[in-house]
Amino acid sequence: MPKDHDKDVYPEPPSRTPVEDRQSSLPNPALILSKLFYYSVDLPVTTFRGIQSGKKSHYYHQKFRRVPELTQCQEGDYVCYYEAEMQWRRDYKVDQEIVKVIQERLRACQQREGPSYSQNCYKELQQFEQVSKAFQSRYGDLGAYASARKCLMKQKERMMAEQHAFATSST
Amino acid sequence: MVGMSLLRTAAAFTARLNPLKRTCQSSNLLSRTVARSEQVVVRYGSHGKRMFIIKPTDFYDRRFLHLLKYYILLAGIPVAALVTFVNIFIGESELAEIPEGYEPEHWEYYKHPITRWIARTFYDSPVKDYEKMMALIQMEAEKAEMSQWDSHMPPGFHPKYLKLCSEDEQSFYRFGTTWGQLQLEVRRHMREKGDGPWFQIQTLDKNLIDHSPKSSPDN
Repeated sequence: MPKDHDKDVYPEPPSRTPVEDRQSSLPNPALILSKLFYYSVDLPVTTFRGIQSGKKSHYYHQKFRRVPELTQCQEGDYVCYYEAEMQWRRDYKVDQEIVKVIQERLRACQQREGPSYSQNCYKELQQFEQVSKAFQSRYGDLGAYASARKCLMKQKERMMAEQHAFATSST
Repeated sequence: MVGMSLLRTAAAFTARLNPLKRTCQSSNLLSRTVARSEQVVVRYGSHGKRMFIIKPTDFYDRRFLHLLKYYILLAGIPVAALVTFVNIFIGESELAEIPEGYEPEHWEYYKHPITRWIARTFYDSPVKDYEKMMALIQMEAEKAEMSQWDSHMPPGFHPKYLKLCSEDEQSFYRFGTTWGQLQLEVRRHMREKGDGPWFQIQTLDKNLIDHSPKSSPDN
């Protein structure tokens, strides 16, 4: 099977098969479906994988250079604005994927632990909370037409609110 | 009350013994049995008696569904077969680290072979699109800057514009142009390098127009 991502960077949760504690006599539908999929699709595909042509093609992850951000652009330099905007959009996508990975970890942990997840998955819970709070504060309500400028303005508002809170709390 | 019920039973009895509707006339009058007729149970060799069932027409519905299936499968089956064979015989690419000093082509960033083919055959590389966009932005920015000259600075004093002219043109433009002459010059440049339909439709030289009076209007 072609491998997708570096497992050291995004480690999959450890596969522990817990002791099954079935409390109902009904068959598990997830198990039935997975077995069905396995016998109808997976097995034939793996047995017929030898048919594929010998030379393997490769695909790569594109690496982008860092360009000056919006704050480092001269005023009226529209080309710089464009490059900063594109870089911001790429970073936005990367951050969305990071949040998805953390969510997936929490989901897997909850599925494993069952009813006692709030105690056993404490680390994953804290990580998810932290990451989602950070994402919300940076990209939160920007909406569908989000842009680097709007994100910058949101940051400015945040800093002003912080200053204001600091000033009022110190006086 | 009792009389009413007696009357009712008598009426029912006489109704049953109606001579007009009598099926049996003679012997089994009071025993009320049905005479055994000569009908036998029919055993069909087919699925039973053919019935003419009257119902509203389903011709249009069935025709629609038939045509729908036909047109979907007309393209669907070849496409499904193509995708199946590509997945089985060609297979997806494998992820690899970019080798040292090697610049992958723009289609080598995709996994599925059909996506790679589309990117290779039809699409420009994203780098080229990026550069095209930046070039457009640059040209628009220059035009916006040029249109700002009217309001901001006197003519003949723009270093960026002066760079486009030759030496004697530069001296001409530095001293002794009017706004109108500069406008004409800008329009000439725009016709050569500008955008929009007003500037790009090629017209004949205006000097070829014969303005002398003609004998008839349409000459």
